[in-house]
Amino acid sequence: MTRFVKPLRVRLFGRRKKGSGQDNSPKDLQKDKVFSDQELQNLGLSPDLQANLLQVREILSECSDVVFREFDFAQDERIKLALIYVDGLVDKTQVSDQILRSLMLDAPLVEQGGEFTRARAFMLIKKKLLPMHDLKETNNLGQVIDAVLEGAGVLLVNGHACAIINYSRGWEGRKVEESQTELVVRGPREAFVETLRVNTSLLRRKIKNPNLKIETMKLGEVTKTDVAVVYIKGIVNDKIVAEVKERLNRIKIDAVLETGYIEELIEDSPWSPFCTLLHTERPDKVAANLLEGRVAILVDGTPYVLTAPLLFVESLQTPEDYYQRWPVSSATRLFRLFTIIVSLLAPSVYVAIITYHHEMLPTALLLSMAAQRELVPFPVFVEAFAMEFTFEILREASIRLPRQVGQAVSIVGALIIGEAAVRAGLVGAGTVIVVALTGIASFAYCYAASMSIRLLRFPILVLAGILGLYGVICGVLFILVHLATLRSFGVPFLSPVAPLNTGGLKDTVVRAPWWAMLRRPRLIGMANPQREAEGLKPAPPPAGRKR
Amino acid sequence: MRKLLACLALLIVVAGIFSGCWSRKEMSELAIVLGAGVDRTPDGQVRLTLQLARTGALAGGGEGGGGRGATTWVVSGTGSTILDAQRKLAERISRHINWTHNVVYIFGEEAARHGIRQYTNYYSRSPQPREITWVLVAKGEAKDILETISQLENTSAQDIGYLARAKTGFSINFKDFKVMLATKGSNPIASRVEIVERGVTLGPEKEKSVVHKGAALTGTAVFREEKLVGWLDESETRGLLWLRGEILKGVITLSSPTEPGKEISVEIMRGHTEVEPYYDGESVWFVVKIVVEGDLLEQQSSEDITERDVRKAIEEEMAREVEEKARLALDKAQGEYGVDIFGFGMAFHRKYPREWAELEDRWDEVFAGAYVDFVLESHLRRSGLLGKRGSVRE
Repeated sequence: MTRFVKPLRVRLFGRRKKGSGQDNSPKDLQKDKVFSDQELQNLGLSPDLQANLLQVREILSECSDVVFREFDFAQDERIKLALIYVDGLVDKTQVSDQILRSLMLDAPLVEQGGEFTRARAFMLIKKKLLPMHDLKETNNLGQVIDAVLEGAGVLLVNGHACAIINYSRGWEGRKVEESQTELVVRGPREAFVETLRVNTSLLRRKIKNPNLKIETMKLGEVTKTDVAVVYIKGIVNDKIVAEVKERLNRIKIDAVLETGYIEELIEDSPWSPFCTLLHTERPDKVAANLLEGRVAILVDGTPYVLTAPLLFVESLQTPEDYYQRWPVSSATRLFRLFTIIVSLLAPSVYVAIITYHHEMLPTALLLSMAAQRELVPFPVFVEAFAMEFTFEILREASIRLPRQVGQAVSIVGALIIGEAAVRAGLVGAGTVIVVALTGIASFAYCYAASMSIRLLRFPILVLAGILGLYGVICGVLFILVHLATLRSFGVPFLSPVAPLNTGGLKDTVVRAPWWAMLRRPRLIGMANPQREAEGLKPAPPPAGRKR
Repeated sequence: MRKLLACLALLIVVAGIFSGCWSRKEMSELAIVLGAGVDRTPDGQVRLTLQLARTGALAGGGEGGGGRGATTWVVSGTGSTILDAQRKLAERISRHINWTHNVVYIFGEEAARHGIRQYTNYYSRSPQPREITWVLVAKGEAKDILETISQLENTSAQDIGYLARAKTGFSINFKDFKVMLATKGSNPIASRVEIVERGVTLGPEKEKSVVHKGAALTGTAVFREEKLVGWLDESETRGLLWLRGEILKGVITLSSPTEPGKEISVEIMRGHTEVEPYYDGESVWFVVKIVVEGDLLEQQSSEDITERDVRKAIEEEMAREVEEKARLALDKAQGEYGVDIFGFGMAFHRKYPREWAELEDRWDEVFAGAYVDFVLESHLRRSGLLGKRGSVRE
């Protein structure tokens, strides 16, 4: 075996160079060298521009998107400058107008008649010639490289072991658009985008308060993704912030491409089917959560933001509940609770009753069910399982499929699977109704929770098929016990229901009017529980008071 | 995690061992019993008749549209006990006999006359039948009743069930019937069901119209202890209901106080009966207080009911009518059958618990000789949408 592999490997990858990693001399241009972060942080800049450039070129070798622009300061050949940036990450007009133009053409206007010396040039450039909003100075090569890759233009000046970092970022990004996954009828429509800075600005615009803290860090050894931890000091429980930061600092991973990476690495119960961190793309939802004392984690490159701690009741809540009048939102919440139960239990209860508990049906219903099932060749369990499975296929397909063929799937789904299967007598009409109801119900509440419940539906269906309603009850109990053991950053997942906090019940399955919800959730916002003043209930002025 | 899985596995194993009923039955494996009848054969055996739903023919709407042949299948089997008869039937029925949806349980007249305790035992012991099944006694054979066809409902058993539920006459479910059987101081009664002519379905020509016979509730079967002794007809049954305080709805028809030969119908809106027993150590007598309230809904005569005196007269007539009906039932129970079917014994037991001990064994005798006094109170509340008769010229 090795006889064949070895020559092949040599041909493909070349012979391994002996001792290639040992030579650390920066002067040697070694294209194959892989630089570690540690190495880069230890490298300093030298006063010699060419040496610096050589080193940067070596580090950024074969990066065709990096531009090295060498030019003379104020058309004075004695003072050499170089600008390094990544094409596409910087704002080109800014680079050419405010850096290149200003340094090459406008510089003489600043110091009319004066002589530019090397020593003065650096100060001049920094103080007077770069009309940029964000400048930084560094003498560390590692920082230079980081800045370039983040989208800054780095200016190197010959004779100075110092670089000026111009933050002139300007890449192509999605605009702030309407949320695609969490829709409301009434309420703000904007959603987060992929750029971290835009996302933090959306939050800052909602909460104009110096206590809104946005701490950033970098995660991902390779990707160096910006991650921001956002909270409102004075409302948040400081221990939770510390815990979040500690868990984030523990992460040593090559890449963080989405908040999902972080979620799985910091959640409390990694084996649970339920998520214990909320993800959302709605700034208003995140702002509301921050105001209740939660912590948000934003990651550059994704519109999804995590907030913690998460409570189970949040799967019943939508932002719209707080914008609509309270009787309406309370009613819809009760309705959503019903849909959770339906989407978890409807098929299994159906199977259990049809196979075990015929006496539970009214006689007329039993007769019509029995008449339907007369022609169906499969046991109802097999039938329900197959239909659930089919529904999952349809659902998965409709997420992935190109938009143009969307109609095809709905036609196939509705007509062929529903109508034809019943007509052919392969499936009972009752089963189709139950499966369809379950499917629709699972979209009526929080999507993240519906994913967990979608998973749990199948084991309960199996239990119902084997043990009837006894099995269903066993399954539900098992889930309840599991839910009761869950914690999200130290907060019991089922609170305020278990452990019971009567004040917190105002915002669970019903929503109390705003003038009655005086306090923040007890276990989350306990640092500063008072949310609003008392006695805000609108009322006519007391009798006897003159207008 | 491993602990949790172990718990779940244990739960399932325990369920298998302790639940005791491995009862998985697909619906298409069931023979659903809708009506059951018990008859006594001349040689003293039990003939069990089951009315089963032919689910294939019941398909409501949609594909294979309803009405492929008969909706029911009636089968009979004979054995020495009900379960024995059912075993015989099982040899002829390809599916599992399911009693859970039985609507009516009908005793044949012969079976009832020989005592029905022996026929209720299986029905109380088996976990399947419901206690809310209607109990009826057939005039004739129960089998014939179950073999009728309903014109309105899917099956005749359901038809009879709905008739019983409507409570136009006396009807009783299995639980209450069992209680009556087991209680001293009251004798069981059940509705009587018999085959009568029930309407016509019209053909394209008059000759092709079909006159149907169907089961109907036509009164009450009266038992002494557990044996059928006789019947009450429909109007006596009304009296029975007044005396038992079970009147819920119905109509009182009375003759007009001013115009002889013309009638007035009053719909009963509310009724209430109180039975007060008295005992002086020798004789027992009862005072029955009946309150009746009704709305006048039909008037053949033309007196002005807005007048106080007229209303008074009508109210008196109502009271007289109710008392007459009650007397009818009472006389039959006291005279002809000599059984207390009104629960007077229980009222006596409640008021005189000590004295009851000496009377309970010969209670029916005591009851038959007791004097019953009626105190009636009647009210005419409303008169429908009209005050005076609309069609009378003034």
